[in-house]
Amino acid sequence: MVKRWIALLLSAAAACALTVGCQSSGSRGINAGESKTGENSSGAAESSEADNSVVIAMDPNSEPAAGFDPAYGWGAGEHVHEPLIQSTLTVTNTDLTIGYDLATDYSVSEDGLTWTVTIRDDVKFTDGEPLTASDVAFTYNTVKESSSVNDFTMLDLAEAEDDTTVVFHMNRPFSIWPYTMAVVGIVPEHAYDSATYGANPIGSGRYILKQWDRGQQVILEANPDYYGEAPQMEQVTILFMEEDASFLAAQAGQVDLAYTSAAYSDQTIDGYELASYATVDNRGFNLPAVPESTDEKGRTVGNDFTSDVLVRRAINIGVDRQEMIDNVLNGYGTPAYSICDQLPWYNEASEVEYNPEEAAELLDEAGWIMGDDGVREKDGVKAEMNLLYSTGDSVRQALAADFANQMGELGIACTIEGVGWDTAYDRALSEPLLWGWGAHTPMELYNIYHTIEGTGSAQYSPYSNETVDSYMDQALASSDLEESYSLWQQAQWDGTTGVTQDGDIPWIWLVNVDHLYWVRDNLKVAEQKIHPHGHGWSIVNNVDQWSWE
Amino acid sequence: MKTAGRMNRRQSTLIFLVCAAGVLAVVMIMGIALEDAALETDFSRTNLAPCPEYLFGTDWMGRDMFVRTLAGLSLSIRIGILTAAVSAVMALLLGTAAAMLGSRADAVISWVIDLVMGIPHILLVMLISIACGRGFAGVVAGVSLSHWPSLARVIRGEVLQLKQAPYILAAEKLGASRIANVRRHMIPHLLPQFLTGTILLFPHAILHEASVTFLGFGLSSEQPAIGVILSESMQYLTTGRWWLALFPGLCLVAVVILFALLGERARMLLDPSSVHE
Repeated sequence: MVKRWIALLLSAAAACALTVGCQSSGSRGINAGESKTGENSSGAAESSEADNSVVIAMDPNSEPAAGFDPAYGWGAGEHVHEPLIQSTLTVTNTDLTIGYDLATDYSVSEDGLTWTVTIRDDVKFTDGEPLTASDVAFTYNTVKESSSVNDFTMLDLAEAEDDTTVVFHMNRPFSIWPYTMAVVGIVPEHAYDSATYGANPIGSGRYILKQWDRGQQVILEANPDYYGEAPQMEQVTILFMEEDASFLAAQAGQVDLAYTSAAYSDQTIDGYELASYATVDNRGFNLPAVPESTDEKGRTVGNDFTSDVLVRRAINIGVDRQEMIDNVLNGYGTPAYSICDQLPWYNEASEVEYNPEEAAELLDEAGWIMGDDGVREKDGVKAEMNLLYSTGDSVRQALAADFANQMGELGIACTIEGVGWDTAYDRALSEPLLWGWGAHTPMELYNIYHTIEGTGSAQYSPYSNETVDSYMDQALASSDLEESYSLWQQAQWDGTTGVTQDGDIPWIWLVNVDHLYWVRDNLKVAEQKIHPHGHGWSIVNNVDQWSWE
Repeated sequence: MKTAGRMNRRQSTLIFLVCAAGVLAVVMIMGIALEDAALETDFSRTNLAPCPEYLFGTDWMGRDMFVRTLAGLSLSIRIGILTAAVSAVMALLLGTAAAMLGSRADAVISWVIDLVMGIPHILLVMLISIACGRGFAGVVAGVSLSHWPSLARVIRGEVLQLKQAPYILAAEKLGASRIANVRRHMIPHLLPQFLTGTILLFPHAILHEASVTFLGFGLSSEQPAIGVILSESMQYLTTGRWWLALFPGLCLVAVVILFALLGERARMLLDPSSVHE
């Protein structure tokens, strides 16, 4: 009887929440959803198959604030993904090597300062104009001028040599340029106005933007003149909704694929399967590698406890990553040992075994002796850390809490504190912050480990190692992409120094968070390449190859 | 006539007052004592429904919701006390100043009261909270600096009215000094209004503290505060973890009602017109 009452109460609550969810996702989106549900009652698979369309629920943060303009972060922003509406010169394959989209070939000069790319001659923008090398040059020069979200300072100038050849003149060698070419969508020179392009993009990609209701939904339609294989999904509707609304939308059968998180993974929805995709969407702490001081801006930089390399090594092997995955991610994750696990430039020497005994020995060796209260001490100073996480992110909060508990067992007293991103960057200079990284470019290694000129320290957490710097500089200067991979690997560990356990270990990596989705049973999602950070557009990178069974 | 065995209204009200204040004090003290326990996470006991061991269940990080709720209520009550104290002092000073220092001072103070009252409360709390650097200090400053105007207005009105009261005018004519007049004739009259008004500030302050933390402008998410607990629990309602929102919500309502009743009963005791009922 009690159970029945609870069930009744719950269904009432669910119904309320559902109406709220519907309202927030807007009338048009829901009309589409409802008609689909209606059809479903007469036979789900047939109706969906007949119209070859798919409805996807995505996180509201994924909606591009400045529209679908590559110059303002579409595709080439903080979270990289394929721009869909525009074509790119190259693409990243499922194994993250480089393939071709518009390009037919590329080469780089011996000194690494000139890239020459030849492109197809049969490509048309959706307004009927042909896409030529001058559009490509225009795009890159525009992006360099106006992109605030991505770094294009290595590019000096792009110019079109003839209709199908474009030449990039670089300021400095940048061997991983093909990875940049994989995310910059090409815009038409004749129809580009930075004020309006974002809302009315014209491209040459697989899809055309048919409709965009800000804050609600995006409808993409297959480009009938696409030069490549025609998209199998003719219409893609993306609804932006919060996590709970996304769950309810799947429960109500209104979407075909809905993003979700580990918090929902113990639920089941009739007619849907929980799909989990591997990622390099990692989470890790920076451990400031220099002793505490105050810099010229008055910020505290460095941390007396974590500046001891033995302490950092002890932390790295003293944390049970699998326990974290089981506790916090409900099993949906993989242990992370670097910022780039399983990518071509990953060095397997990063991997460590969980070994609390050795961790305790390291701490003893460093002089941090267990006190009577279970907290280690050295010269009267307690072994303490204040762990920061971005407030409102429940997964990071739980990871930080679990990490704090595990550190407590090692004799390191931890407190956790939620902070906003307005103060997090400054505070991370002296305290460990739980970060999320992971991208399809080795540039991330450079961003977090390479010393910034003039400051003597890396950007996000105080650390500097000349050898590591020089490997990365060589990697960027290399004229051969394959060869540069091994240099990136050496930057992580070359046998004597690096950023791994036996090296300086200025960051410790905890887990890669699997991306979870509710997928309608007969929807066949094409093989995903390893997802980068950001639980958003990556999933639809190959939506053109999805199909209904 | 009342029979000997039954208490009169005054006695029962007094007993109620003592009990209510006692309950609130116990909640506050227990909350302070359990503050560390409220932050404790234990992943071996996540998402438990209410059971004898964990009366209010546990959340997704294995925190004991009963302890967390107590700590949150305690925080709310303390913020309420601080707010009431700050507001009471400000209201008393500004209210009497407006009434006693002449028309120009009255105009300035009334204008300030109108200004502060003109801004929606929650917005003002958020603004002050952000300006004071968010966190605990921000919330306390935000809530306590925004609740004084209504009480100040009441006090001002009372004092203005009293100034014209025949017995005060008579006392003045008889040569009683201003100070003596205020002390002997005005304060006894003002006290019931003032005390009741102060106690009735509590529910407002507590609800505003809860809403501002609910909206994410106050304490960070590991802190035990009712607003934080409620906003976290919203995410889990869809998966059927009703206990995360229900019990803390009910407790918040209970505390607010308790304070409101406290104020009401206190008024009955203090107000000359109802004290002998």
